[in-house]
Amino acid sequence: MTPVSRAAAGRLHPFTPLVLTVCVAVLAVAAPGPQTAAALYGVTLLAVAAAGVGRAALRALVPLAPLWLFLFLLHAILGEGDQVAVLGLSLSRDGLALAVTQACRLGAIATASLALYASFSPARFVDAVAERGWSFSWAYLVVATLLALPRFRARAVAILEAQRSRGLRLRGSLLNRVRAVGPVTFPLLLGALAEVDERGFALESRCASGVTRRTPLDPPRDSLGDRVGRWLAGALAVAAVLWRVLR
Amino acid sequence: MNARLLALLPAAIAINLVIGGLVNAMGLPLYLDSIGTILATVLAGPAVGILAGVIGQVLFGLINGYQWIPFGLIQVVIALLAGVAASQAGFRSVGRSIAWGLLTGVAAGALSSIISYVLFKGVTATGTTAVVTVLRQLGLSLPVAVTASSLTLDLADKAVAFLVVGSLVRSLPNRMVGRFPRAARAIGR
Amino acid sequence: MSALRMQGVGFTYPGAPAPALSDCSFAAEAGQVTWLTGALGAGTSTALLVAAGLAPRHTGGDRTGVVRTLGEDPALPASRAALGGRVALVLSSPATQLSGIAETVAQEVAFAPANLGWPRARIRSRVADAMDAVQIAHLADRDPGTLSGGEMQRAVIAAMLVLEPELWLLDEPTSALDAAGRALIHDMMRREATRGAAVVIASEDADGLLPVAGRLIVFASGRPAIDGTPRAILAGDQVWRAGAASTAIAGLARAAGVVAPYPLTVDDGVARWTR
Repeated sequence: MTPVSRAAAGRLHPFTPLVLTVCVAVLAVAAPGPQTAAALYGVTLLAVAAAGVGRAALRALVPLAPLWLFLFLLHAILGEGDQVAVLGLSLSRDGLALAVTQACRLGAIATASLALYASFSPARFVDAVAERGWSFSWAYLVVATLLALPRFRARAVAILEAQRSRGLRLRGSLLNRVRAVGPVTFPLLLGALAEVDERGFALESRCASGVTRRTPLDPPRDSLGDRVGRWLAGALAVAAVLWRVLR
Repeated sequence: MNARLLALLPAAIAINLVIGGLVNAMGLPLYLDSIGTILATVLAGPAVGILAGVIGQVLFGLINGYQWIPFGLIQVVIALLAGVAASQAGFRSVGRSIAWGLLTGVAAGALSSIISYVLFKGVTATGTTAVVTVLRQLGLSLPVAVTASSLTLDLADKAVAFLVVGSLVRSLPNRMVGRFPRAARAIGR
Repeated sequence: MSALRMQGVGFTYPGAPAPALSDCSFAAEAGQVTWLTGALGAGTSTALLVAAGLAPRHTGGDRTGVVRTLGEDPALPASRAALGGRVALVLSSPATQLSGIAETVAQEVAFAPANLGWPRARIRSRVADAMDAVQIAHLADRDPGTLSGGEMQRAVIAAMLVLEPELWLLDEPTSALDAAGRALIHDMMRREATRGAAVVIASEDADGLLPVAGRLIVFASGRPAIDGTPRAILAGDQVWRAGAASTAIAGLARAAGVVAPYPLTVDDGVARWTR
């Protein structure tokens, strides 16, 4: 995984960034208008930079940019109602507000989640779950999948290259490319299935099923700051939801 | 959870997450992000398929942004319909696979348009958004435009996904299919 | 009591036309290396899976007859808790036997003891001992996925060794290893037998196992066909007729038209032909 454990985010208890980012998502959904949404996005950007995972904010821009563009097109330019002139463009007032609100909501959510991913340490997460005595199976599934992804991606690239060098046409008409889906996906799927049996044998003989209480190998420190931060963020999120619902 | 599931699920989830990127690299306008869900359902039942789909969507959200997590509901519907298809030998032939895929596509497309309209103000995956924008230009209302665009894409996407899983399971040797009684029923063996 | 006992065992994989084991009876004792061999499909791998309880629990299929693994019937659900951590299984392809969640070799080796809830101090010292025993202590902080095949297999073996199992079930464990790696694993098996464990290994490596195994069982058509000391069996013709192989020197002597008993090692050959 990304080597960010040395950053400030890597020193937090694994559950702290998880709770904080989920709370950012809840606050973003609850944000009533462009000002609050923009403020939340701003605070999220600052927090992410302070935690030493500022790159996540930049990486979040890749999926965000097209979303922002289409939000702007769909609501500000094509929107109806009162028109305002901005930089020579005639824009819908309500549409612009909606586009900015939604863009900032998505910005805050994407930035927070990508920052969590950048600071995620599989081993510390498993240890944190084990220390609480929570289900090992769930932690296993999450971590085993995340660690398997690079292996699967590398295999997918290798298969794509191999089939291409055997003359499979991956360009050209849509029909040609749809026809290529089988030769590209089959080897990957068959390889994955072939492994399942042996890995199941190995996991069973290594006592991975029916784990009742796993020993955390290096239990992460849960400081007072971590706990206070999680409770505050949770309380803020709950308050925001209540305010939105009751208002 | 037994060791067999602990081995099967990460593979199924990784398939969901990786094949989408693969078809993207091939320049195909499909998601193909439910092949692992369908495969897990055919091999081990809809409950396992739902697990694969939902965990996969949560991890996709972790990697690409939480905003995609609500679409996990669609994975649940796909697993349930694939489960029905499997119990009716719906993967026995190419034609049946495509038919069940189209049916699933209708449900998935409808659900996806509801989710994207309610939560995302009409903006979804970039491909769909472009279509929505064009349809809006043609004078369709926003909800209609969102539904129309995600429906066509979802129909094609689920048909191809069911087709791939059906052909794959039919190509497995008897010895392997025998280990998954549900899979044998799904392909009518 | 034998560490492993099978009596009249039959096993058929689901969808398979013929049984993989039929009327299979043998026992393996603690303190001894029991070596299984045979032609491809003779049933040695299936016998190990049945002993571990993975067949039929994971594979499906039908098992008949009596199996006692450390006194338990491994097919019964209740036996899983009773046998957990006491039976080690090692297969030939190391990559599929990794836990999938370890970022370092040390975590990989600690996987099973942590699952069993051992105290941290005991895990730490046993992990260090196990890595030493197969000479991978210098790899402790490496990502197990980036190891060479041989290093990976040694990590997998260390991950079992850490449990001090009472019964080892090894299926072609050295096929990914070079000569030095094979010698290391064979030496480890001998030490495990001396410690009091029962070691059952399915292997075609006659040259490597001749000095290690106390007993050889040659399988044919899903059941033991020949049972005795490796020296006696490998020097004869029967093992060849069963479709299995003897040592390289024995093969050479047989091909050269020498009459059985064949010499098994270079020393045997020298002793025989310089008499």
